[in-house]
Amino acid sequence: MIAKRIQPMAFQARRLYVELMFQVMGRALQAVSEVDATVQKDASALPEGFLFEMMVMPQGSSLIVEHVGNGRFHYHGNSAPRPVDLSIQFKHIAHAFLVLSFQEKTSVAFANDRMLVDGDISYAIRMTRVLNRLESFILPKLVAKRAVKEYPANLHLPEKLMSAARIYLKVASNFVETVRA
Amino acid sequence: MSNKYYEFFCPVKVIAGKAALEHIPYELSGMAATRPMIVTDKGVRAAGLLDPVIAACEESGLEIVSIYDDVPPDSSTAVVRDIAGVYRSEKCDSIIAVGGGSAIDTAKAVNILVSEGGDDIAAYAGAGVLKRPLKPFFVVPTTAGTGSEVTAVAVIADTEKHVKLPFTSSFLLPNAAIIDPRMTLTLPPHITAATAMDAMTHATEAFTCMAKNPLSDAYATAAIKKISNSLLAVMDNPKDADNRLELAEASTMAGIAFSNSMVGLVHALGHATGAICQLPHGLCMSLYLPYVLEYNIESIREPLGELLLYLDGPEVYAATPASRRAEASISAIRRMRDALYKHCKLPRTLKETGKVVEEQLERIAEVALDDGAIMFNPKEVTLEDAKAVLRRAWA
Repeated sequence: MIAKRIQPMAFQARRLYVELMFQVMGRALQAVSEVDATVQKDASALPEGFLFEMMVMPQGSSLIVEHVGNGRFHYHGNSAPRPVDLSIQFKHIAHAFLVLSFQEKTSVAFANDRMLVDGDISYAIRMTRVLNRLESFILPKLVAKRAVKEYPANLHLPEKLMSAARIYLKVASNFVETVRA
Repeated sequence: MSNKYYEFFCPVKVIAGKAALEHIPYELSGMAATRPMIVTDKGVRAAGLLDPVIAACEESGLEIVSIYDDVPPDSSTAVVRDIAGVYRSEKCDSIIAVGGGSAIDTAKAVNILVSEGGDDIAAYAGAGVLKRPLKPFFVVPTTAGTGSEVTAVAVIADTEKHVKLPFTSSFLLPNAAIIDPRMTLTLPPHITAATAMDAMTHATEAFTCMAKNPLSDAYATAAIKKISNSLLAVMDNPKDADNRLELAEASTMAGIAFSNSMVGLVHALGHATGAICQLPHGLCMSLYLPYVLEYNIESIREPLGELLLYLDGPEVYAATPASRRAEASISAIRRMRDALYKHCKLPRTLKETGKVVEEQLERIAEVALDDGAIMFNPKEVTLEDAKAVLRRAWA
């Protein structure tokens, strides 16, 4: 009985968590592309104006970033200015929650058919590398190990802390700017 | 609660064995199809492989309405459009693909156009675009390796835009795959070897990569056992129909396994090498398999060790300490490659192919890193890792 009453609240909390995580990740993608040369190198192979979307099917939360050139991303929130070039779609919000709460690695989620890729697979692989790199920076090592296939051996604490601080600062500034606007 | 999750799907009716071709008329009639079109290539026709298919149909009073035998090795959107035009003008109602990967992929794409309408196959590219079943579609493989008869994927080149268009949908799967030993009896030794090693790689990667699952494991191990037992027997005696059938069945089983559990770094490197150096796919698979297994070994020690049972049999498996089985599996694959080199000079290193120069390794590694298969490799592959594997595979 109690479980039945709590369930809608749990679903709502899950929905809000996924939405918040998309907002953080979208801003963090923009930030990491301004901070990290490896991400810039990976992103620079994408065409200029390339729109990337991560979303929950059928019309749930989403994040959209655009490659604006030189390996830099711009976060567009949850609405795209034109049709996206690449979309990674979670089949259900429960699957998005598993990944965004770091209970399931992105690569495992792909292997488990939790997500669909609509667009060029090679770009999807590239974007997954960027997401992995981002998670390695912004998450504590113990948590990051649950999120990525392999924690990068060459990412040492000073670099991680410096980059994470810069990314979080940029994410916070972006949030403030959005609220002000 | 377990975190395990998997999906498995294979609705293809497998019709395998002696006189399997003679089942085609009955199977077609069961789908109310009376005007089949054959899609094939010149090589298949020249080898006389169409004759038993046509004879089997005609003997049952089923007329093959049209035969398109000009599918190129890398099929294109223009070829697909042409074949769809013939299908429509001849009022066909079903397709029989007879051939290897290219003929089968082309026929899958033709089936999209003739079922959904239009002339622009690019409009149907991508995953999940198709929403309903297509026309009756049968596949008769003439090689024992690709497994295309049980995969829900087709790749067609758009020669105008210079891109490869991928099509993914369970509706691309044929209604039936007809595995008849007559179809592979005349395969030349080096193609027999390369395609069998392609199937071996499908099964090995299906069993050791990230999306492995209990059902795909069953198909993968059975395929490896059949290839290990039959490949060298066929190389010694190419007219051995029983072992030819074993290889053909293994190819289909490996296809079912990998289409449900995906593949890994061997395929990523193989796709890149094929694109850059124009090496045949099966040859690339045979070439890279042991080097990639060595690279992955610490992540796949347990499943790889288990494969020793199917590669070398129960006596060797039992006599090998558990801690050494993974290395013993790689040794068994290396021994098989050495035997194939003796038989038909199937290259074991990039240098032995004579078609790759060392300067290309960097580019191969870069392209491999963006290949979809790399996602399912059990180890995260960096550019340096890929280059290291390539250097080991060089000579």
